[in-house]
Amino acid sequence: MDDDQIRSLVDSRNGTVKPAIYSDAQLYELELERVFGRTWLFLAHESQIPNPGDFFNTFMGEDPVLVVRQKDGSVQVMMNQCRHRGMKLCHADSGNTKAFTCPYHGWAYQVDGALQSVPLEKEAYRGKLDKSKWGLIKAPRVENYKGLIFANWDESAPDLTTYLGDMAWYLDGFLDRREGGTEVVGGVHKWMIDCNWKFAAEQFCSDQYHAPYTHASAIQVLAPTPQNKPDGSPLGDGQTERPAWANGLGGVQFAGKGHGSAFFFTENADANVWVGGEVSAYFRETYPEAEARLGKVRALRLAGHNTMFPTLSWLNGTQTLRVWHPRGPGRIEVWVFCIADKAAPPEVKEALKKSHARAFGPAGFLEQDDSENWIEVQKVLRGHKARQTDFCMQMGLGFEERREDGIPGITNGTFAETAARGFYQRWVDLMTGKSWNEIEAAGAAWEQEVIDA
Amino acid sequence: MLDELTRPLRVSADLQHEVEQFLYLEAALLDDRRLRKWLDLLADDIEYTLDTNSLAQFRDRRRGWAPPTTYIFHEDKYQLERRVARVETGQAWAEEPASRTRHFVTNVRVLAQADDELVVGCNYLVHRASKAHDHHSFIGTRRDTLRRIPAPDGGETFIIARRRLELDEFTLMSANVSIIL
Repeated sequence: MDDDQIRSLVDSRNGTVKPAIYSDAQLYELELERVFGRTWLFLAHESQIPNPGDFFNTFMGEDPVLVVRQKDGSVQVMMNQCRHRGMKLCHADSGNTKAFTCPYHGWAYQVDGALQSVPLEKEAYRGKLDKSKWGLIKAPRVENYKGLIFANWDESAPDLTTYLGDMAWYLDGFLDRREGGTEVVGGVHKWMIDCNWKFAAEQFCSDQYHAPYTHASAIQVLAPTPQNKPDGSPLGDGQTERPAWANGLGGVQFAGKGHGSAFFFTENADANVWVGGEVSAYFRETYPEAEARLGKVRALRLAGHNTMFPTLSWLNGTQTLRVWHPRGPGRIEVWVFCIADKAAPPEVKEALKKSHARAFGPAGFLEQDDSENWIEVQKVLRGHKARQTDFCMQMGLGFEERREDGIPGITNGTFAETAARGFYQRWVDLMTGKSWNEIEAAGAAWEQEVIDA
Repeated sequence: MLDELTRPLRVSADLQHEVEQFLYLEAALLDDRRLRKWLDLLADDIEYTLDTNSLAQFRDRRRGWAPPTTYIFHEDKYQLERRVARVETGQAWAEEPASRTRHFVTNVRVLAQADDELVVGCNYLVHRASKAHDHHSFIGTRRDTLRRIPAPDGGETFIIARRRLELDEFTLMSANVSIIL
């Protein structure tokens, strides 16, 4: 597929996309190279690998990688693939090790990726193997942003802070509420959804519109009404009386560099209705500290969805952070982490772990309905006509603005598809093989154009 | 203590039969989607849990360390009732139209008994058929605490006081768990 064909699939100025972008196998192969081979990808939280030799086993796109804490405290990211015949070196989710030894022929690598020993080296290679040339392939770029470890294969990519742009302001609202930063609570939820990665990423990037209808059942049964519980109290003792968005005084959608976010304004320091009472109380009690660090808007912004392009998404309040690992054009592997302030008391972390699973684990009251939608769209896209028919992405088109009140980026009302249009614009710019300078310039031009329109 | 059970606990054929019949009844209520009736089999103080699994190196396990896990379910009775209520809204899209399920219970063993409670282990297989073509299986093991209570019509019956589910998968191969396991 050439660049002109790819460009014809997305019209971010007029708000249309061709659904082939979700189903075409050729495009998917190009994505692995041009999107996942060039962008900053979230891999692990630093709290998951505290000690030297600790590793976390994950993926960059479809490439398996090990995130490994070094003796000097730094973190390296290396392919989980032996250099001899490409065998996967390590199958444990995480752990601690002195070496990675290949199960196939026994080549052993140090935790820094250097090839340490080769069985029968003298007899088999007759002293001719230059081990210094056969270390593990390493991601050349690794950065830590407030506890989140990212890597990038592309040496020409902008640094992580530049890549984030205005999204850093929103990400800080999730990671920087309290002194001491955050940590992952509990393990990682992992499950498969038969849908293209862009459906999930775009929803968290831009789509506040789906919530009232998709989640209608959860809203009905979890709301604190006398019908739901005789005394009218909500799920979980002492839980916040109303969700932040129920008192919503309007909201904002943000777009920039392919990233997106949306949230409602509120005057209550409450989390979503679906978290446990201990969690709500915790957010209320720690509000003054959060406000001092983040300002009122972000400290109160406990209900909101976000995607950092391409596949890192999170929701404030229920504290879910997830990666949509691509697994072919029609499949993703979802990995979900629960993020808590490190300074939160143990009982709050335990309550958060329960709330998190109840709302957004694979059996979550809300999660169940999201996956169902994406799967069914993906099934329909098996049809020839279905793949050619434009999708309408025009919500809020022409109402973009830059705010005067300090909320950064291109913004719109919360029910808009500005962030989706920005997401697909960034996708096209990457997929057409532009250099990073060209990509950044094209993104800036798109932002200026939508403001001027 | 229970993990050290290497010989079958001596229980009467009657008790074994009674326990199995109770578990089959429960499975039938779930499969027939008589979910409110199923709720009646649960103690008010029930704790219903399912944790994720993790893959650990043998040497880490030997050192007593494994990657952390998290809950898939950690529910009390009220939360289980809300799950039933969710399906009843007709807008729980993962269950609209409702899946058909088939709960199989096997390898039933009474592991311990004390006073009015029994600890029962079993393996389970739940098959879920949904939408036009989707089939998923959930296979695992579980440990139930059954409590003997007076039956409303005289005699005795069981209620489930605790259920600890384990699922064999490491990465769930289904998009969601919208049914009761």
